[in-house]
Amino acid sequence: MSTAIEVKNLSKAYGKETIINQLSFKLNYEEKWSIVGPSGGGKTTLLRILAGLDQPSSGTIKVDGESVIGIDARKRKVGLVFQQPLLFPHMTVEENITYGARLSGTFSKTKTNDLLEAVSLTKSRTSFPSELSGGQQQRTALARALAAEPKILLLDEPFSSLDPALRQELRYWVRRLLDEREITSIFVTHDREEAMIMGDKIGIFHNGEFQQTASAETILDFPANPFVVQFFNNHILINDNSYAPLSRITLFETDDPSVVIKAELLHTTISYGERIAHVYIKEQDKRLSLRLPLQFNQKNYINLFVPKEHIHSFPLSQQGLE
Amino acid sequence: MRPKLYFRLITALFFIFPIVLLLLQSITTPWRTREGINIQLESFTVLWSDPNLWTATVWSIIIGAVVLLFNLFIGLTAGKALAFYSFKGRSLIEALLLSPLLIPLLAVAIGLHLFMIRLDLADTWLGVALVHLVPTVPYTIKIFHHAYSQIGRPLLEQAENLGASVSHQFFTVELPLLKNAIRSVTFLTIVISLSQYAITAIIGGGSVITMPMIFFPFLNSANPPLMAALSIWFAVPPLVMYIAVEALLSLAPYSPTFWRNRT
Amino acid sequence: MRLHRIKPWILLFPALLFLLLPAYGLWSAASASVSSTDGITFLHYRELLTSERFLHSLWFSVRTAWTASMASIIIGILITRSFARYLTEILPRLAVWLPMLFPHLVFGYIVILLFSETGLLYELLSTLCFIGGADQFPILTRDDYGVGIILTYIGKEVPFVILMLYPVYQALPQFYFDVVKTLGGGRYQQFKTVEWPQISTVVMETFIILFAFTLTAYEVPAMLGTNFPEMVSVLSYDWFYSGSFEDRPLAFSAMVMTSFLLFLLSLSSYLYVNRKRMRALRGRL
Repeated sequence: MSTAIEVKNLSKAYGKETIINQLSFKLNYEEKWSIVGPSGGGKTTLLRILAGLDQPSSGTIKVDGESVIGIDARKRKVGLVFQQPLLFPHMTVEENITYGARLSGTFSKTKTNDLLEAVSLTKSRTSFPSELSGGQQQRTALARALAAEPKILLLDEPFSSLDPALRQELRYWVRRLLDEREITSIFVTHDREEAMIMGDKIGIFHNGEFQQTASAETILDFPANPFVVQFFNNHILINDNSYAPLSRITLFETDDPSVVIKAELLHTTISYGERIAHVYIKEQDKRLSLRLPLQFNQKNYINLFVPKEHIHSFPLSQQGLE
Repeated sequence: MRPKLYFRLITALFFIFPIVLLLLQSITTPWRTREGINIQLESFTVLWSDPNLWTATVWSIIIGAVVLLFNLFIGLTAGKALAFYSFKGRSLIEALLLSPLLIPLLAVAIGLHLFMIRLDLADTWLGVALVHLVPTVPYTIKIFHHAYSQIGRPLLEQAENLGASVSHQFFTVELPLLKNAIRSVTFLTIVISLSQYAITAIIGGGSVITMPMIFFPFLNSANPPLMAALSIWFAVPPLVMYIAVEALLSLAPYSPTFWRNRT
Repeated sequence: MRLHRIKPWILLFPALLFLLLPAYGLWSAASASVSSTDGITFLHYRELLTSERFLHSLWFSVRTAWTASMASIIIGILITRSFARYLTEILPRLAVWLPMLFPHLVFGYIVILLFSETGLLYELLSTLCFIGGADQFPILTRDDYGVGIILTYIGKEVPFVILMLYPVYQALPQFYFDVVKTLGGGRYQQFKTVEWPQISTVVMETFIILFAFTLTAYEVPAMLGTNFPEMVSVLSYDWFYSGSFEDRPLAFSAMVMTSFLLFLLSLSSYLYVNRKRMRALRGRL
């Protein structure tokens, strides 16, 4: 497999504020990545730089082996699907889809029909964007980006303006489309679940760098640092150097030697057929959600017993790059 | 229900009635109740037989068209800059670009008079067109600034991302979405240009004959039907310009045509 | 990178080039107003400020322009706020803006047609026997008070005011009004707390544009004004074109002085609006 995009020491600063800090990564053809992180952390800026809409302060970007620094966004062959569909309001669905394809010289009637079919919009091909639903609009935007046959497709929270039910549905659907068409893609989101569906590998982006870049399984087994632990809520943080999986915590004293953490029970909710406790750990000033046994009825304060044998340390290098 | 009635009454009385009045007067004899009112079309025959009218109409349209072209060029560029970029001194620039509306036109015209003589632009239609830019360009910039803000930068970035060159992007995305703004600018510039007597007289020196130039001599004729006919005639240059612009706009890509309209 | 920073200035270049026209015009008028055979002189300004004719004319112009602009603004606000919802439809909007299709000269003529001593109003009133002869009908055009001028400007500028205000009213969120209503505010409170803060900037801008225009435009007063008192624009134009060459500097200084007055007015209102905007911003932080 050859490299689709390679980024080295990429930085972006606005004045004194560093948005992206010495970022390096590499994506092979047909790989699918998600970049996840708290809102407003510079993920959008990263995509805009890759697409050529913003300029980096320093660093190199290679697409298909060739440097694109200084190359206009118009000529980069990096597709970008924005948060909003941004369809051209004066063009029909079909005209929107063929817009980029005609410019890149890859237009063909068969491809257009095929794409319309793929995004289930054959019947709406002559509709104008204002006549479409939100989901249809975003599907058109996706087809338009694909029609230009970019080397790599960037998606910037494309479902965030849709209502939750539709969002769920589109996730699976888009993922299948990207798989079927063997698209190389980077999907940016602030939603962990969405990140796991849309990418085989997840980059956890915070403070201008990747805190960890790994598959969801690896993140579960070997979180790289406290931030990853906090963000994914799979583990409990014992201190700055060690953590334990939530699944190993018990609420009753056992024979195993354990660390005891006192927590305030804030509220109980129910999801996936389980009772979930939302607790507040005063010592750490942190909130946490974990499964409760069904017969549990303690009030206010509870003790969390963390077996010592399940407490692990973070790797020495805080970068979890494989 | 009642506010709507009021609205219709007020609109009819203040905005439509004056124009209807002109129309009626242009095709009737002067309104002297004791003499009775008769339909006549002589006013237009007399008007059209005046050779000055045709010269003035043609020059008004030519000057209006040139003014419009300059306005479009200046307005599109400046409007885009103001809508999409943040830069130092932005609000000052915005205020400066509006300021020509606050300066007495007469002051500008008499000040430019010598300058125009030196450049051989005095007494020429081009000099007149240039000075007509002063009362029109500020409005045009405002209109395009607003229109570009409505389109929004992301939509143009999307076109960029799909590989559109600057000119292709302008013709396929910006122009079709700016059509309404262009229509407004067309009307505004031609009507303002048609309103200028004093600055046209000063810079044109009496040798550039536009419609306001013949208005005052006609006024002295004290013939209401003829004056009304001339007044109505003032709508001709705007209509000619509008039709021309509309025809040009229909050539723009992705324009609605009958085969694009589905059933 | 650097290209990115200068790009707005490249785009602004034609507009800045255009600005040279009024700037040079004003500058050259100003320099002509202070020049004489032996260097800089303020003689013309002294002559102007001691001229009864000029001072009278200036006062008359300010009064007429102020009345016309104020009336247009008030009528424009009233119509827009009462009927904004009907203006969303295209036909009513076109009807309201119909007068904008015609130049000021034409509107001046409409006023003559309606209000002159032989106009429609007179014919109507005398036919209905409300008045006897022509001597009983008030002089409303070419009158000493500028009534004809004011009427013309109102007829022509009210649509302009609506054009400027309508987008603002359309963007006013309805729930603001509901909030004031639920808090027990009356109509005046609604206007004061909801509408005025939103429209004040546009109203101010529109007023200054109108005032500057009506104060200095030549066409309408030349058509509907008297010889005394006359508007400054008419006076200056006469001075500029009068046979004697000595009067020309007076035309320059009269226009420059009017520009200076307008500059002071715009600057003070700009500072006023900006101060308010700054306060609002600080409140948000």
